[in-house]
Amino acid sequence: MPGFLREHSWSLAFSVLLHAALAAAFLVAALITVNKTLPTVLPLPVDGVVVDSQVLSAAQKTLTDRAEQEAARAKAAADARAAAEAAVKEKAAADQKQAQDEADAQAKAKVAAQVSAAKSAAAAEQARADDAKKRAAEADQAAAAKRAQDAQRAEDAKRAEQQKREAEAKAADDAKKAADQRAKSEREAELKRQLAEEERVSAVQSGPLRDQYIAQLQNRIQRAWIRPPSARVGLDCLVQVTQVAGGEVTSAQVTQCNGDTAARQSIENAVYRASPLPSPPDPALFMKTFSFRFHPDQ
Amino acid sequence: MKKLLSHVALIVCVALGASAHADFVVEVTRGQSEAIPLAVVPFAPPELNAASFDVAQLVSDDLARSGRFKPMDRKDMIEQPHTGANITFDDWKRLNSDYIVVGNMTTDGADHFTIRYELYNVLTRQSLLAFQITSNRPGLRSAGHQIADAVFEKILGIKGAFSTRIAYISVLGRLPNKNYQLMVADADGENARIVMQSREPLMSPAWSPDGSALAYVSFEQRLPSIYVQTLKTGERRRVSAHAGVNQAPAWSPDGKKLAMVLSTREGNLDVYIMDMATQALTRITDDPGIDTEPQWSKDGQSLYFTSDRAGGPQIYKVGIHPGDKPRRLTFQGSYSARSRVSPDESQLAFVTQEEGAFRIATMDLRGGHSDMQVLTKGRFDASPSYAPNGAVIIYATRDKGRGVLALVSADGRVQQLLAPSEGEMQEPAWGPF
Repeated sequence: MPGFLREHSWSLAFSVLLHAALAAAFLVAALITVNKTLPTVLPLPVDGVVVDSQVLSAAQKTLTDRAEQEAARAKAAADARAAAEAAVKEKAAADQKQAQDEADAQAKAKVAAQVSAAKSAAAAEQARADDAKKRAAEADQAAAAKRAQDAQRAEDAKRAEQQKREAEAKAADDAKKAADQRAKSEREAELKRQLAEEERVSAVQSGPLRDQYIAQLQNRIQRAWIRPPSARVGLDCLVQVTQVAGGEVTSAQVTQCNGDTAARQSIENAVYRASPLPSPPDPALFMKTFSFRFHPDQ
Repeated sequence: MKKLLSHVALIVCVALGASAHADFVVEVTRGQSEAIPLAVVPFAPPELNAASFDVAQLVSDDLARSGRFKPMDRKDMIEQPHTGANITFDDWKRLNSDYIVVGNMTTDGADHFTIRYELYNVLTRQSLLAFQITSNRPGLRSAGHQIADAVFEKILGIKGAFSTRIAYISVLGRLPNKNYQLMVADADGENARIVMQSREPLMSPAWSPDGSALAYVSFEQRLPSIYVQTLKTGERRRVSAHAGVNQAPAWSPDGKKLAMVLSTREGNLDVYIMDMATQALTRITDDPGIDTEPQWSKDGQSLYFTSDRAGGPQIYKVGIHPGDKPRRLTFQGSYSARSRVSPDESQLAFVTQEEGAFRIATMDLRGGHSDMQVLTKGRFDASPSYAPNGAVIIYATRDKGRGVLALVSADGRVQQLLAPSEGEMQEPAWGPF
């Protein structure tokens, strides 16, 4: 529905406005022409059902005729104004052209006189210069030809050299660009791979495999802990475990413990007895360092 | 060895998310109560052991008897180091030995022995003990018990009771030539010696708190009387010979009073307390039923006793002050008698009747109601008595038709018969440290 409204908003607005205008027209016409015949009609612009259709069409016709007459009057006035303005403009343009033409003619005559004088002086000078130039040119021609020949050869060699260098540079450049592109692609691929791996690791670390790994560690440590008599309810000890790949325990350190020496010792021993610890179902779950918390509940 | 592995459940709580790695904590809420594997390597070459005494074997046997340790068989030892420097820890770890005791016994040829011993944690390679004991030949057994005590305490955190003694009654012969002997022996049943013997029954030995004397009941004058005998001197003194019954003596924790059972002329038994210095009596129970077998609470302010006031025998506790009312403790089964309180008063051991048999049971005294736990499986198990460290209970039972003494760990896991001596062994009482 909102889609429909959006799509047809202009048409709807137009339609509404048209209806409103018509209704307003009806009202005006009714007030003017049928005031006596319809004393009970309420001045509600949209309450059209109680209006007589004949009265309506008559009112509409009157309104339309009046609008046409007014438009015709306005057009005639506008046309007259436009004609007057056009006449003024034409006259101004004609005056301006005449003045311009006169100025142009005077300037042209002056320039023609100057050019004519300069031309004759230049012709004489040119004749002298041409003569001298011709002799000099003939003398230099042989030498110039040779120089040109040498220059051409040098130029050719230089160009060849240049082309070679450019080709080499271009090749190097192309190679570098290709390498850069390759490296970039590789970096992007690596980044993508890392991201994917991180996502996978993150998924694994919060997924069922993690629970499975914890269960494995539980099983192993539960069988390994020989609980001394002093390890009663209320004991609460944290042991930090370091393992290497393969699960071998390299250190077990009781970090916090409210138990006696025997309890601490039993806990460290439990970790060593449990070594090697089970391998995680996914390598992403392997932790070099983690903790067991011993706190018997009965 | 019977091995009861407790069910183990581990609760794991882990934080999820990226920080989980650093916070990875596996929570351990239960463990095993199995015996700890250890090795006690011989302290001396076989010739010297044979010529003197195999101390290491005694240490190993003591630890095994406690139920807390599982000593390695000598024939499984791939090497026999005598000092810590010679221990190849990896080998012993492969042999699944958590601890190792090594020692070196030397003699100067005369009756003088020196034992240097060390205890190591095989798993951590830490040295835990390093001591030296000197002894003459007869003292080597005692030296072994001392070493076992030290090892036991170092590893478990509770005092060993291997150097303590037990008292018991041994009955030899048949009527009319019966002979009753009051015996005292080492905790392992060895070194037994006669304290008192009589052709008339001897009963109910009870240790004084300092271990210097025994109180017991003797029928030597046809009627039961209570005697106190000093062990060192053998001097004995009759402390109660009232008309009727004089039985079940029990020393107060301070050693100044003796709780006992006396009877009225009508034969009604009640519990009394006698001041040892003045012999003045205080009546504690006053009930038409039988009240007997008193036992002191740790603080000396109450007595546990057996009474049939509710029908069958059950265990009650009563304060020793006038007006204190007895409170019933046992409700399971129709028969609960002959109670003994563990040294820390956390537990009560008593005899219960189950499947028509008499067995040793325990009940937790801490907190609210606790179910009793039946520890033994015999038919005539009687007279439980706690070791002073509370870890083991000694009791009388029958084996192959004769009365013997047996041990059961306070948690019921380990049971062993004590090496029987001749005669019927009855009424063991474990002495103090």
